[in-house]
Amino acid sequence: MNSSSSNQILEADFELGFTYTRSPGIIIGKFLAALKQKKLYGIRGSDGSVLFPPTEYDPRTAASLNDFVPVSAEGEIVSWTWIETPREHHQVKGPFAFALIKLDGADTPFLHRLFCDDASSISAGMKVKVDWNDDRCGAITDIRGFVPLTATVGNF
Amino acid sequence: MSKNRVAICGVGQSARYQTKLKCSMAGLVREAALAALADAGCDWSDIDALIIGKAPDMFEGVVMPEAYLAEALGGVNKPVIRVHTAGSVGGSTAMVAASHIKSGLFRRVLTVAFEKQSESNAHWALSPSMPFRPHFNSGAGGMFAPVIREYMRRSGAPDDVGCHVAVKDRRHALRNPHAHLHLPDIDLQTVKDSPMLWEPTRFLESCPSSDGACAMVMSCEQLADSGKNPPAWIHAMAMRSEPSFYPWREEVSPLASRECAQDLYAQAGITNPRRDLDMAEVYVPFSWFEPIWLESLGFAEQGEGWRLTLDGSTSLDENGDIPWNCSGGVLSSNPIGASGMIRFAEAALQVRGLADKRQVDGAKKALGHAYGGHSQFFAMWIVGTDKP
Repeated sequence: MNSSSSNQILEADFELGFTYTRSPGIIIGKFLAALKQKKLYGIRGSDGSVLFPPTEYDPRTAASLNDFVPVSAEGEIVSWTWIETPREHHQVKGPFAFALIKLDGADTPFLHRLFCDDASSISAGMKVKVDWNDDRCGAITDIRGFVPLTATVGNF
Repeated sequence: MSKNRVAICGVGQSARYQTKLKCSMAGLVREAALAALADAGCDWSDIDALIIGKAPDMFEGVVMPEAYLAEALGGVNKPVIRVHTAGSVGGSTAMVAASHIKSGLFRRVLTVAFEKQSESNAHWALSPSMPFRPHFNSGAGGMFAPVIREYMRRSGAPDDVGCHVAVKDRRHALRNPHAHLHLPDIDLQTVKDSPMLWEPTRFLESCPSSDGACAMVMSCEQLADSGKNPPAWIHAMAMRSEPSFYPWREEVSPLASRECAQDLYAQAGITNPRRDLDMAEVYVPFSWFEPIWLESLGFAEQGEGWRLTLDGSTSLDENGDIPWNCSGGVLSSNPIGASGMIRFAEAALQVRGLADKRQVDGAKKALGHAYGGHSQFFAMWIVGTDKP
């Protein structure tokens, strides 16, 4: 080590490479497998409300849940945040929104991407529909995102 | 012990500690929790708080699993606390749960510890490749084998003591329906013929990779009679830690191990553990740790622990006077995060008279023990049939 490097604070990239196996279980497994067929299932909670995405156990009573309920591929915006300049990690090219979306037939909203022309066109209660991925493997990303109900899928 | 006594009213375990690819992590903990609640005659609504333990998050790659598991364990809108002390975590989680009863903060708690090794390879997760460090992939076996060699040198024990432990614990496992490994044909020669992994440790002298959860319901004295079965009472608890490496560290019988045991025995009024206890469930992931801990925990004089193994003193099958690991121990089931709690829970089952075919006749006082990290984290308790 020479004299100039002896004062240097060492630094190195560290990428943790480790592989895992995921066992989603029977309930979440059925939900994910249905996405491949462009089908959306919620699950009925102890109080009769429909949870989407499904949970294995009721958040209020801890009861086991297994009553699957088909829900619509259309729904409405509950709330949102606009991303004008996506970063590389967003894996999206143009502006988009993260939105809480409540599907028709479900009682709970969930977070996904919303593609539309500009922020000013979004409002609470706005009707949207699923933009499916062409390649589906049984993962939540089989839903590419949502688009306005009136929009043509694939424009964004 | 302070005046608040702590009762273990319910124990639940995975039906079997084997690979569960069809089951989610939530389903895994759920099975043990429901069994513990049933044993305690309780429902989710009877529980004040949830105390969860597991080994490093890196083992399954799920960060803070306790948050995701709250609804599976009826923890929504209740205090949920996570404990983390590496391999000893099952034991220290039980102690944290008991401490909350002892303090009077909660009256009844559910504690659960788990690991789902089928979702990763925990052995190699212990040895990740890091900058500025050699990448040995030694795993736990590679770390502990030199310690075992040093024990053999000091004690002059015959080379096959470890093989005897491996046979003894696997025969015990045949009495326990929860045990991962059921090897009905195991004998000394089979163990000796198994591949040498980290000399002197053979394949069959090592623990398996298991999936499983263990749960307990603990109550204050006023709520101790909730179930149809009698509770176990906590007589003493102790926990100690020390660094992995430091000058003058005693690695075979770490200071933290010896001082933890001394503290424990002083609390419980035990002067001779071999005589005063009826059985022990001790964390033995590699066979030679039975004689190592027999000495460190004061069941035998220094250099003499291996004699108890060889003369059958620790064997239920040979009617030993101080059976160790009647459940089959860590050598027969190792869902890492749960393994310490299984030791603590099996000790409780013994003094409640609920250990079925692995029951030690008339057991009234038992030791539960866990260790973790580089033999540096220790958790121990003594439970009894009678109130302390």
